[in-house]
Amino acid sequence: MSGLRGPPRKGENFELSADLNSEYREKRKDAIKKVIANMTVQKDVSGLFPDVLKNMQTDDLEQKKLVYLYLMNYAKTQPELVILAVNTFVKDTDDPNPLVRALAIRTMGCLRAEKIIDYLCDPLQKCLRDDNPYVRKTAALCVAKLYDLKPELVIENGFLETLQEMIADSNPMVVSNTVAALSDIHTAAVAAGTTSDHFHITSVILNKLLVALNECSEWGRVAILNALARYETQDAQESEHICERVVPQFQHANASVVLAAVKVIMIHMRSVRQDNLTKTFIRKMAPPLVTLLSNPPEVQWVALRNINLLLQKRPDLLSNEMRVFFCKYNDPLYVKVEKLDIMVRLAGESNVDALLSELKEYASEVDVDFVRRSIKAIGQTAIKIDEAAERCVNVLLELIGTRVSYVVQEAVVDIFRKYPSTYEGVIPTLCANLDELDEPEAKASLIWIIGEYANKIDNADELLAIFVDTFTEESYPVQLQTLTAVVKLFLQKPDSSQGLVQRVLNTATKDCDSPDVRDRAYIYWRLLSTDPGAAKAVVLSQRPPISLPRTTVSPQLLEELLGEVSSLASVYHKPAETFVGPGRIGIDSLQRKASEIADERVAAQKALQTVAQGQQAENLLDFADDGAEGGQQPSGLAATTVLAQTPAAANILAGTSSNPLDDLVSIFGSANMSVPTVQPGQSANPLAGFSFNTAASPMPPATPSVLQAASPPTQQSQQEDLLGLF
Amino acid sequence: MAIDGLIILDSAGRPIIQSGFHSVPPAYPILHIDALNNALSAASRPDDVDPVLSVPSLTIDAPSACCHAKVADMRLLCPISGDVDPLYAFAFMQTFVDILRDYFGQLSAETLKENFDVVYQLLEETLDSGGHPLTTSPNALRDIVLPPSLLNKVLSVAGVSGLATPLSNSQPFASPIPWRKAGVRYNNNEIYFDVAETLEAIINKNGTPAASNVWGRIESNCKLSGTPDLLLTFSNFQSLTDCSFHPCIRLQRWARDKTLSFVPPDGHFKLMEYRYAPASASTMHQVAVPFSLRSSIQLQEHGGSFDVTLSSRLTTRAMDSVTIELFLGEGASGASCISSHNASWSFDLRTLTLKWELKNVQPSGNYTLRGTFTSTTQIPRPSRAFRVRFDIMQHTFSALKIDQLKLAGEMYKPYKGMRGRSAGDIEWRW
Repeated sequence: MSGLRGPPRKGENFELSADLNSEYREKRKDAIKKVIANMTVQKDVSGLFPDVLKNMQTDDLEQKKLVYLYLMNYAKTQPELVILAVNTFVKDTDDPNPLVRALAIRTMGCLRAEKIIDYLCDPLQKCLRDDNPYVRKTAALCVAKLYDLKPELVIENGFLETLQEMIADSNPMVVSNTVAALSDIHTAAVAAGTTSDHFHITSVILNKLLVALNECSEWGRVAILNALARYETQDAQESEHICERVVPQFQHANASVVLAAVKVIMIHMRSVRQDNLTKTFIRKMAPPLVTLLSNPPEVQWVALRNINLLLQKRPDLLSNEMRVFFCKYNDPLYVKVEKLDIMVRLAGESNVDALLSELKEYASEVDVDFVRRSIKAIGQTAIKIDEAAERCVNVLLELIGTRVSYVVQEAVVDIFRKYPSTYEGVIPTLCANLDELDEPEAKASLIWIIGEYANKIDNADELLAIFVDTFTEESYPVQLQTLTAVVKLFLQKPDSSQGLVQRVLNTATKDCDSPDVRDRAYIYWRLLSTDPGAAKAVVLSQRPPISLPRTTVSPQLLEELLGEVSSLASVYHKPAETFVGPGRIGIDSLQRKASEIADERVAAQKALQTVAQGQQAENLLDFADDGAEGGQQPSGLAATTVLAQTPAAANILAGTSSNPLDDLVSIFGSANMSVPTVQPGQSANPLAGFSFNTAASPMPPATPSVLQAASPPTQQSQQEDLLGLF
Repeated sequence: MAIDGLIILDSAGRPIIQSGFHSVPPAYPILHIDALNNALSAASRPDDVDPVLSVPSLTIDAPSACCHAKVADMRLLCPISGDVDPLYAFAFMQTFVDILRDYFGQLSAETLKENFDVVYQLLEETLDSGGHPLTTSPNALRDIVLPPSLLNKVLSVAGVSGLATPLSNSQPFASPIPWRKAGVRYNNNEIYFDVAETLEAIINKNGTPAASNVWGRIESNCKLSGTPDLLLTFSNFQSLTDCSFHPCIRLQRWARDKTLSFVPPDGHFKLMEYRYAPASASTMHQVAVPFSLRSSIQLQEHGGSFDVTLSSRLTTRAMDSVTIELFLGEGASGASCISSHNASWSFDLRTLTLKWELKNVQPSGNYTLRGTFTSTTQIPRPSRAFRVRFDIMQHTFSALKIDQLKLAGEMYKPYKGMRGRSAGDIEWRW
């Protein structure tokens, strides 16, 4: 073992070589272990290949495994030497010990050497029909690996048919591994663009899967459940049958089995017609999801992301369980953030008091980011539950009284927009704390409030003058807000603020670095100088009150994602194609099939790019009401035909309207609640999508979350300005 | 639908052991290790790093994600590519760690380095190179990978390895029940059940619980010969909810009459997990916390003083190994305290946490800790809650009782044992 840590001695490989050829078997075995140890720490022991190979023929299974391990590691770099091992491999597949047979066939599958492959088919044929289930299941998985390397060999030898027969095997372990192998082949075939369905699930196969489901290992169950999720049911009755058979899996100890079962239920429940059945399934789904929260934080997080998604479809799922989601102060931030989101989702009149007192507690915590989100959650609660709005405002005011007032202003803006002219009484309190603000978001929000209610705040011009004085030192969001607020003030009180508006327009157009700020200043200037009446109509127009969207993703995408529960897509809340691409291609097959695949891949790449462009174009012109999506992007439609077999890509096309930038930012869930707060504005207002984009795109990816909460009011007025220009 | 492999990193972020990664470019695992190490070094608290990291890949069309979890002084990471369930990766990592614990006892980077040959064999047996977990049931694994044992070492030193390695069971996987070995024989047939419950609660300033849950699990140690078919009934199953079971449990039977019918695996295994929900609606979520904590904390510039009293509400039982922790906030630089009953306290400069340890809390006993702390920040901001952990032996919150255990399929009368153990992890706000 000293070889693992000790400094490399001179001629170590030479010594090892001598030991490998020793006449004492114990010495040889020790030497093999040392070789493997060296291999692990990335030392080059490939020179010992022939010596190690000599030790392959042995009765000692452990030694055999170690030699195989070595072979697998160097087979890629030394394919011509591996050929020397072929005979032993083939002989081992006839060994009386099933472990040796399985080991040999498994290793041959892993070697990925072209020359070995040709010798693989005969033994594989034999092993697929072996007496021992362990050998059969190992062989089944080996077929999938062979398909990855040389699909034509699999088809020529009829291995696919054999596999399909093996689904009826008496041993559940064999069934589940066969399903896994067939699924892998299916995925690979789809990725390579084959049209024939290598794993077509018939109702006969379905029944066999359902039987095996209760008897195999947890991993086998996941494989079978995933296959079930793909099955297209004939009628409602069949869907019900599947759901009923899968529901008991909710009680499996393994979390991934639970989530895979949830996925199957969510998919097949769509065609269940009986409402009471659906209700039963939903009721049974809640306990296992709650149980997942007793797991380590990383499992909790994945579970929470999935729960978040499920709640968007079924808000009643966990309605009595809000307390389970209360945050502990030592939860990791990523868990807390998800819990907050879910708590707001579960908020109702009955539990809002408990929620508010929790949120207030969080607002006094140490972690600034978490505090910020908690306060935002208070604002969201106010928007969601009308009856509780006043209580929320009171909590926010109390928070202003304490030192932690980071973003209280932001939350207040949301409340103002939802309940215009209801809570104006709090404005003086907000303004009193003006000096203490140093967060740009809080400043920007407060400035918006001052501008919006300029006619009700007596010293609005004085307050805004403070910001105009320091205009060039402020951050861009604050500058934009100041600009708009001053213009609003001018339109409401033209006499007292003429000088101020002149000053701010001058500064903004001459001394400002940001093109956004300059552009907006120019527009205002032009607007004010040509037609003050139009300016008034545009800048001071009534905005529709906002409401908290029930979903953070569009309904179509939600359906798509619910079909992908228990996958990366459901964790990212993005369709798989946005981060996976059309298929996964191993490097070997890439080199081998380079020429033939290249065209296809280029085509697929192009198609995806077109989709992306279409998406952008669509965003620029986003009319955002779901009805109008179909015909908007001709460039994208062309791509749909290419990607017909990948429904999720089509779904992007169909107007999920997820901004690519937004993808980048919110992939880990940052501020995904605040994005849609913009959308209600959009639906009322044809060009809102445009304004949001213009604001978001010039910013570095890290800042949109900064902008989002502050942007709805301003961005809107900005595009209204544009309308005025036309 | 499969994971790409498994990598085990030591505390410095260097790989100790990794699976083959045969079907991906050699740079692939390295990219993932780098991505994780970068994320860890960029984060202010390593615990706050997202458990699923997106990793850019060499080829444009196959970005991947890296799922990672901390285990002892190591980090396990599972690269996944494509639309794979991250939970699948986490579940596999958890299973693999359980297997390693089963083989080596306490885990550390050092143990794995010493037994790397066994770890490699385990990795080969549990994870297919295509990324499908294979044999993960400890019963079946012990047939094909021999645990390191003194006997093996002695034999190998003596040079008679031939005796140590041949398989005692030439027909592995011959057992019709995947989780149970065939042909088990014991002289004394015994089965033990450990009921362990953990109370997790958040207590508000006024002493009322904001949330409280009792999570329970039943672990079993089975030493029964042959293929015993057991039927276990509880006297008070009504209060068990959200149950999840070992695959050996016949779920239909549980759904029908709330009895556990199963053929157990051999050795240690986790029979079931549950949540304890008291039956009456009024006491929902209201399992009583067995102690109360009164505290007064005064914050001043560059420090503060505190006075904490812990009183046991239990009248007959003692609480063991009670620890009370308080994070003193960024910049905390030291503390000095006086504790009653000679209990020990410590301040950890690395985690900035004050820790007060009471080995044994007597029924109805009162314990106090007074002291001051200093901080380099002007306005210290300690966390708003104490974290209190405790154990109570021979006690369960649910008072779960095994009514009877019937054995079918074998002729002997087994010895049965059951014991309870409670623990608590309470967040007490001040």
